[in-house]
Amino acid sequence: MTRVHWETMGTVVSLLTAARIEDAVIAEVRSALAKVDARFSLYRPDSELTRIAAGELRLEHASPELLDAYAAALEWRTLTDGAFTAHRPDGVIDLSGIVKAMAMRDAAEVLRAAGEENWMLGVGGDLLWSPDASDHTIGIVDPDDRRRLLTAVRLDASRLALATSGSAERGEHIWNLPDLAVSPFTQVTVAAGDIVTADVLATAIVAGGEQTLDLASAHWNIDVLAVARGGTIRATPGMREAIARAAAAA
Amino acid sequence: MRTRAVIGSAFAAFAILAVGWEVGTSSLPPGQTVTAPTSSAPDSGGSTPNSGTTQSRSAGQSGSASPSEQNSPSAAPDPGSSSGSSNSAGAADGSYTGSLERTPWGDVQVGVTISGGHIVEVPALHLTDRGGQSVQISNYAAPILRSEVLRAQSAQVSMVSGATFTSEAYLASLQSALDQAGF
Repeated sequence: MTRVHWETMGTVVSLLTAARIEDAVIAEVRSALAKVDARFSLYRPDSELTRIAAGELRLEHASPELLDAYAAALEWRTLTDGAFTAHRPDGVIDLSGIVKAMAMRDAAEVLRAAGEENWMLGVGGDLLWSPDASDHTIGIVDPDDRRRLLTAVRLDASRLALATSGSAERGEHIWNLPDLAVSPFTQVTVAAGDIVTADVLATAIVAGGEQTLDLASAHWNIDVLAVARGGTIRATPGMREAIARAAAAA
Repeated sequence: MRTRAVIGSAFAAFAILAVGWEVGTSSLPPGQTVTAPTSSAPDSGGSTPNSGTTQSRSAGQSGSASPSEQNSPSAAPDPGSSSGSSNSAGAADGSYTGSLERTPWGDVQVGVTISGGHIVEVPALHLTDRGGQSVQISNYAAPILRSEVLRAQSAQVSMVSGATFTSEAYLASLQSALDQAGF
């Protein structure tokens, strides 16, 4: 396996491939991720979203890409009964909950178009892979001791993405629902057929708690591993099987 | 081990089955039973449960423990036990089937496989199947034993997933360590 990593969007990107990947393709993947960062980062003073937040650019004059992302985020807000949100508490549009996943989707498209096979892409702890790479074992960090892994999973072939969200430390990462002062979950991992669903629902479950966990596991074809405060762990049947497969392969 | 408390909460959520395990610990809330054994036995070739018998243990029956169980080195009652009474019996290897519990969504039944005094598997034997609810409820995220989760901890992994704030430096470091290890 070949592995390349670099930094973007304030985080680390890791690309694992069975065969050596051409530099030109890597450059294209980097570019796909960087584009999203340039447009949506609220940490960059010159990003399109920062200009909208500052009132320099009106939403109706925003790019189609930004409007698409905003529309998608609003739709997810509706689907998750408000657990996922597209705004900061101060009202500023914040698409950070969805744009990383959208960027990863774009990057995956680059890899597919280039005919790359057997690859896995990781961006800041969220993972996406090609259908022929589903036999990889993936580690999940222990939220209580991040120096080690809590567990590992070998997912079903229908899963092509896995995302983990947490509620500790950087409080601004996820805006909890107003009536939920502290998330009951310190960490939520979701595996799905696509990275946007996995990432959005992981974020939504942390924000929305038990209610959103039940909603998400009932209405989406996903596997969930949720670590509650106090250490209790909950898993959907599919996630439990994925853990058993990893244990058997260990 | 605090896993007993974990499984206690796990099964309490389902109100199905509680079983004590680990050497010398058995804690069953009143009214919950363990039925043994089923046809399947652990593949470890451990002692085979008596076929065709049904055991019902309750929390108040610690006096029924066999001499060998009473001599177990860790037979002291766990002060953390919520049942208030600890049976000193070590769990016998085998596969056990929990009682069938009826819920508004249908029947639920789980089993447990014990090998070497440890729970090695908690298979869901039956999850709800009433009409359109089956998929929804059967994907319910149920409490899972920490020990079950930790079993996969030593697996060799291709990549690591964690919350973004898990620290990029940490992930980068871990990733490079994996590279060095040749994963």
